[in-house]
Parts: sequence; structure tokens; C-alpha cells
Amino acid sequence: MKQLSIMVDLDRCIGCKTCIVACRNHHGLVNHETAMPEGMSHYLRVESELTGTFPKLAEDNWVVMCQQCRKPPCVKACAAGAISKDAQTGIVRIDREKCTGAGTCIEKCPYGVIQFNAEGRFAHKCELCYDRVVHGQEPVCVEVCLADALRFGEREILLMQAEATGKKLLKKRSTQSILYVKRAD
Amino acid sequence: MSESKWIPTVCYQCKAECAILARVEDGVVREVKGNPRARGKMCVKGMAGITTLYSQERLKHPMKRVGERGEGKFVRIGWDEAMNIMETKLRELRKRGEGHKFTYSMFPHSTSDPKWRFVNAMGGFITTGLPHCDSAKIMAHLHTFGCFPNHHIAPMYYTVPKGGVMILSGRHPFGCLDDACVPRDILDAKERGAKLVVIDPIFRTEAGKADWWIPIRPGGDAALFLGMCNHLLTKGLHDKAFCDKWVRPGDMDGLMAFIKDKTPAAMSRICDVPARDIVKLAEMCAAAPSVCVDAFKSIMYGNAMDWGHAWSIFLVITGNLDNPGGQPMPEIAPMAPVPPVPPPPNLKELGYHRTGPNRSRFDHYTFFLQPTWYAAQAVREGSLKVFFASECNPALSEMGSGEWREAMTLKDRNGNYALELFVLTEIMPSETMKWADLVLPDQTNFERWELLYMPWWYNFGHTAAVCQPVVKPVGESRHANRVMIDLGKRMFPEYFAFKDDVEYYDIELSGIGMSMRKMLDGGAIWSPGTVGFRKYEDAGRFNTPSGRIELEWKMYGDIGQQWPSPELPLEFRRNADKYPFILVNFRTIFLNNTGAWSQNNAQLRDPVSGIDANPVLLNPVDAARLGIADGDMVTVASATGSVRLPAALTERIKPGCAGLIHGFGQTMGKVASRGAWAGDNELIADAGSHLDEQDLRGGEAHVSTRVKITK
Repeated sequence: MKQLSIMVDLDRCIGCKTCIVACRNHHGLVNHETAMPEGMSHYLRVESELTGTFPKLAEDNWVVMCQQCRKPPCVKACAAGAISKDAQTGIVRIDREKCTGAGTCIEKCPYGVIQFNAEGRFAHKCELCYDRVVHGQEPVCVEVCLADALRFGEREILLMQAEATGKKLLKKRSTQSILYVKRAD
Repeated sequence: MSESKWIPTVCYQCKAECAILARVEDGVVREVKGNPRARGKMCVKGMAGITTLYSQERLKHPMKRVGERGEGKFVRIGWDEAMNIMETKLRELRKRGEGHKFTYSMFPHSTSDPKWRFVNAMGGFITTGLPHCDSAKIMAHLHTFGCFPNHHIAPMYYTVPKGGVMILSGRHPFGCLDDACVPRDILDAKERGAKLVVIDPIFRTEAGKADWWIPIRPGGDAALFLGMCNHLLTKGLHDKAFCDKWVRPGDMDGLMAFIKDKTPAAMSRICDVPARDIVKLAEMCAAAPSVCVDAFKSIMYGNAMDWGHAWSIFLVITGNLDNPGGQPMPEIAPMAPVPPVPPPPNLKELGYHRTGPNRSRFDHYTFFLQPTWYAAQAVREGSLKVFFASECNPALSEMGSGEWREAMTLKDRNGNYALELFVLTEIMPSETMKWADLVLPDQTNFERWELLYMPWWYNFGHTAAVCQPVVKPVGESRHANRVMIDLGKRMFPEYFAFKDDVEYYDIELSGIGMSMRKMLDGGAIWSPGTVGFRKYEDAGRFNTPSGRIELEWKMYGDIGQQWPSPELPLEFRRNADKYPFILVNFRTIFLNNTGAWSQNNAQLRDPVSGIDANPVLLNPVDAARLGIADGDMVTVASATGSVRLPAALTERIKPGCAGLIHGFGQTMGKVASRGAWAGDNELIADAGSHLDEQDLRGGEAHVSTRVKITK
């Protein structure tokens, strides 16, 4: 299987959101002049979970982006045939020229990561920085990650790296192509 | 075809000043990232700096107040008029022999910051956040082993060896108010096998990554560390060889006598950390190849000097000075002076024109710069007549916001403001602006020149970096440095004979065989690459009067402060019945504290990419007792102020504490004002008139506040 992926290390993610803003800058998602909170597209979001009661607490942070589904519901949902899973990279891509702005992909996405550009009436989302990775660069979020919590590469290789460094795959969160790992203990 | 290139410069979304690269495409900044030639990281604030640069809310031309202070009404004026207003008033002040009644509040970007040069030429005073934030840490380390750290000089986490211990005591380094590489370096050290211990009344991201979280009672840090020192010394677990060689003769005997009754059991009662945990941490440190300690909020409490002293003693007896993984002793790159250098004001002659209620007792202490700044008190006493401020937001950052506002509008019998002129340079609308007479549009780091070479820039050896303009300035904005150089040329031409800021930096750089041209050709970075360890061995001495480590502060013997008190800050020890909660005000990575430009940055106040809420955090145990449910509106009241906020119930916070983020409360600007929340300084007393121990224990009391919470 050909599949590019990002591996999120929960031992290192500090939920700082640097990746979100760097991604917005790179993809030009923000009109800096007029931007207001709550009105900006974002290809990533941070989630966190606090467990336990004082003083026995634990907390995890991780990022959620397009999971590059194995059988993407968005592809199936798009009547215009604007969404496809790239055979060479496994990246799910939206063709803006074909996109009619119907929004069905947004409704069907189980991860809530597809954005809608109201002005241009098209759907858009994380494509693992396709235009960078085909030229040998990492996705922007991986490059700028403050805590070096993200790693980019072919999914199977990332899995081998996880095992080699004693990281356990969090299977419930890693059902698609993006991998979530944590120290095995 | 459009032109796009990455240009090296320096971030200034906070005071850490990380070296970065900016991608400029057809004259517009599109992207930014950490400079891999430096430490390669940039945080979310820095990333969002482009939004600050291009926001519609940028101040674009000088403005003059119309109406009364506090109304926030202005008219546009030209730069000439603005310069004339400043020059006329400052000349008048000097003519009256009151040059020392001029104060400039700023964060100097170096010891030779051109704004500071102007202040010295004028005979005025500089005030900075340093006395607010970490004078105790600086003075404790200076007194004990003669090094000059501050809160931006974190331990060198990249040097912590396997098995080393990293202690964060009231410190949130993942919040990136020091170099953006620090989170990575701490996590890397952990992966090498170092241990992370977080001592904090709030469980935050650092605690989430820690090997051990110790939820201490706020202000109990001195007691905890003295308890550890007792265990180490009485069990012979300290670094005896290091102490024998480097500690001033007699001081170890004095320490043994002092520490005798500071047992883990006795100290546990003060800090609320079990005695067995104090012993466990002490033994963990004794067995480790290195221990580093960092503190921030805890070093601002009223017992800050005691805590700084206890921390310094701990570092000494565990031999953790200037070693890999221990306490760094940074050096400053030897820049050349730009002669003639204007002398700083003679503090001995002029006295400190801002002090607490026990002014005379200041004479007992040694200060670097001025002791803590109390603008409200200085205005009331007539010792502050002209006030300039840059890159700070005193309306929110001064403790006792209410008193500060009153002082700004205080008038004499003739109806004139007691503070005769208030000038503010500002990038975005700020709370402080409402009270200013002149508001001058400042430039972001993307539009200006600056030379950085200080240790607070996470450089421990000789290093320098150039912040260079990468795009044309917005509107008529001018960098505050250039404004003060121009004003200097008008008023003190002898001290401002150089052409401009670039030439000034050029002369300075000659001290290290560099020039601005060479710096820019070399990627805007100069760094020989070494920090050096155990430099005291090469020198054969520490930088103290005796040349040895001075554990006992003999100069404070007459006031009984030669050894550190383990007690909590005075403000925490009294009125517990009336104000049962200790206010724990903390910082986040998303805001440069009260900095107006981050408060008005849409990306940093967006709930997805920043933070947009500041409820008061309560432990569910406390909330249940008070009948408060999650989201209920509550009144948080201290002895001097009160605010209304929603309560957020969380297991993160130690019972008995109320958590609040520092820096909110701004009502100016479209972004900030859509949810102003409340500033913590509405609750914190003005130390100049209310607090008893401020500065008199050498430190800062401004965050030692008790509150009560009612529905």
C-alpha cells in the first residue's frame, strides 16, 4: 500500500497550536488585515484529554487533521467527483475546479476537518502539503512543530520507527492513515 | 514571475526574541519560521506575528489626546508636532532641575538600547519589567555566586545529561516566553533519560509531561528547598568537595547552624508537600549527575528574595553551578561602547523616586536598576512628571490597576494633570493608550532594525543577531528607537553624533570584529558556538566581592536577612479567614502577557489557534462547598479590588487556590474588546501603598494576593 502519513507523538505534543497558525500562513487561509477570531479556516485542530482527580492527573494533547481515510467518505459523498485519493501518495485531494460547493463532503466527514470557502464556494482541507511533499519537503506542520511531536513519512516506515523507539500505536485513534503513538508503559 | 525569499531576522511577538526567517513574496511577509542556524523554533505567537503586521488596527500615524485622560479621544498630528511636544516638555523639565522626574518604561533589548541611552542623557530613570518579574532571582544569584540570570535565561536544557533532574518551580517554559526551542530541548532531555519534576499548584502541560508533579502551596518554594537542604546537609549528601573549595570560609558552618531546624517535617507544614516527598526529591537530586532549577511566578511573590536565596544555596550545595545540566552562568558579548557614553543617574544621590511605604528601609539593599516601579505612588508624590512607555501596557501590567488609573488622572489645584506628559509608542490599540497624551505608531519586528546580544535571548555564550526590516513600514510608523535617537539629536547632540540606529549598531559590533554588513552577509547571526562550563575554575574565582560563593548575605545582617526565611509571603499568612483563596495568576503561550499587540491578534484570540477565555479556575471540592457550578458567574474580590467572571471547575488546580490568566482585561481594539474578561491586576494591590513586605525582603510582592469568591 502506498500511503504517506504523519505520526503524532502524544509524549511530545504540548498542544501549543503553532502548527495551526503556520499551516494557515503557508496556505494563505487568513486575511491578516480583517481577520477576527472564530472566522478563520484551519486544517488542524488540537484536542486534549485530562483524566484523574487531584492530585493524580494525566493529560494528553494531540492534533487532528484530515486522516487521509483508507476509503474516504468524502470521496463517496461528492457527486461532482471532485475528491479523489491519490494513488501514488494516498493523499485525499479536492479538485477546486470540479468542486461545486455542495458541502456534502463536509457533512459526511467523520473527523470534521473539511473547511468551506464561502467566497469561492469550494471545500478545502489538509492534503499533507501535497505541493511540498512531492518536492521532498515535509508538510509545514511537521517542519515547524515546536516540540518535534510530528513525524512525516510513509505509513509503514513510521510504524517501524514507532516500534523501534518503544512507542505504542493508539489503535482507536489511528484507524485511518494518520498515526497516534505514545510510550508503551 | 513573483519573487519569494526567506530573510533572516528576529521575532518580537514576545521578549524572548527568537531568531527567525521570514518569507517575503513581492514585498509581503507570507510565512515565518525558526532560523535553523540558531535554534530553529518559533512559537504560535511568532507565527501569528504576520497578523499583527498587517492588521487593519495598526496605528498608522501620531495622535494627540483631545478631551480628558481616560476618554481615549485623539486627533491625528504630524511627526514634527509630536517631536516638538516631547522636546518642549523635556527641556522644561531639565530647566527646572527635574530631569530625574522623567521615566521611560520599556524592555531594553540590550544594555545599550538607544532608548535607554536617551534616558541616561536626560538624567531620567528607566523602568522595566525586570524588577516586577525577577529582581529577586537576579539579586539572589548575584549576591551568592555573582551571575546575572533573569527569567529569560532558562537552564540550558540541551546540556542536561541522562539522569539529570530538571525542576520547574512555578515555571511554565512550554509557554515560550523564553526561546521557542525550550519545549523541544526539555522533551529531548527527557528522551535522553533526564527527569522532569514540576512543582506547581496548577497542573499544566509541563506537569502533564513530568515524571513527578508536586502540587505545592503557593509561596512554599523556599520552605521546600530549605527542607531539602536540611536533609542533604545533615545526611552528608551534599557536594562536599565543591563546597570546601568554593564556598567562602565559615559560610558552611553558618549554613549548618541555620539549617538545623529546617527539617523536612517542619518545612512540610509550610509548603504542604509531605516530608517524605521532600526527602525523596532531595535524594533524587543528590544522586543525579546534574540538577537545574527554574522558577518564574514563584520568584515574584513577597518572599521572592528568600526563595531566590534558598534556591541559590541548594544549587551550591549540590554543586550545580556552570556545569552541563545545572545553573548556567552566561556571558554578554563584548560590544564596543559608542562614545561619549551618557552616565546613568546617580541613585545614591537622587534616591529611589519610587518606593513602598517603608522608603527608608531601601537603604539596606543593593539594587540593580531601580527597585520596583510604582507609577501611581510616584505620580502622587510628585516624583514622576513625564512618563514614556514602549512595548509595555502599564494600564494592565501595573499592579493595582485602579490606583494606576486614578494617578494618571490626578490633577493639581490648578486643574493640571500631576503627570505632566504621558507618551506611548504602540503598534496596536492598547488599554494604556486611553490615558496617553501622545500616541506614536511603533513598528513591528518586520519593519525595524535591532541588535540583539543579551543573555535573555537564550544565548549563554557570545552571540549576536540582527533584526532587520523585511518589508516597508506600515503607514507613518517609526520604531521607538529611531524616535528617541532623533529626539536625542535635537536635545543631546553630543551623545547622538552617530548617523542612525544602523550606524550605532555598527560601532557596537566592532567590539567583536563584526559590522552590520558582515552580520547580514553571514545570515544575520554571529555565534562562536561555545558557552564554556565551570568558567570559575579558569578564573579561579566567582564574581563576588570575596571571589568565593557567599552563602551568608552579611550585608543584610543588620536587618536579620542574612539567611532565607522559609515562611510564606506575609500576604498569604494573614486574612485567610476573610480571603480564603490564594490567587494563582499564570501565563499562556498564546499571549505576550498584557502586550497589546498579542491581545489584539485575531489568531491568538481565536479559540482554535489561541485562547479566548479567562474564567476563574476552581477545584470542584472548593466549588461544591461554595455551591458554585461550572459556568456560574462569581465575584472574585481581594482587599483592594473585585471582578466578575464565570467559574470553570477543574481538577487541575490545588484546592484553596483560584487560577486566573495574567494579561486579559483589554477594552481597546476590535479583537481584544470582543471578550475583555478581566485583568488580574484589578485584584492585586498597588504595592506602593498597600503591601508591607514589597521589596523589603528584596523581592516583589505584587502577585501575593488572597481573594474571596462569592456567587
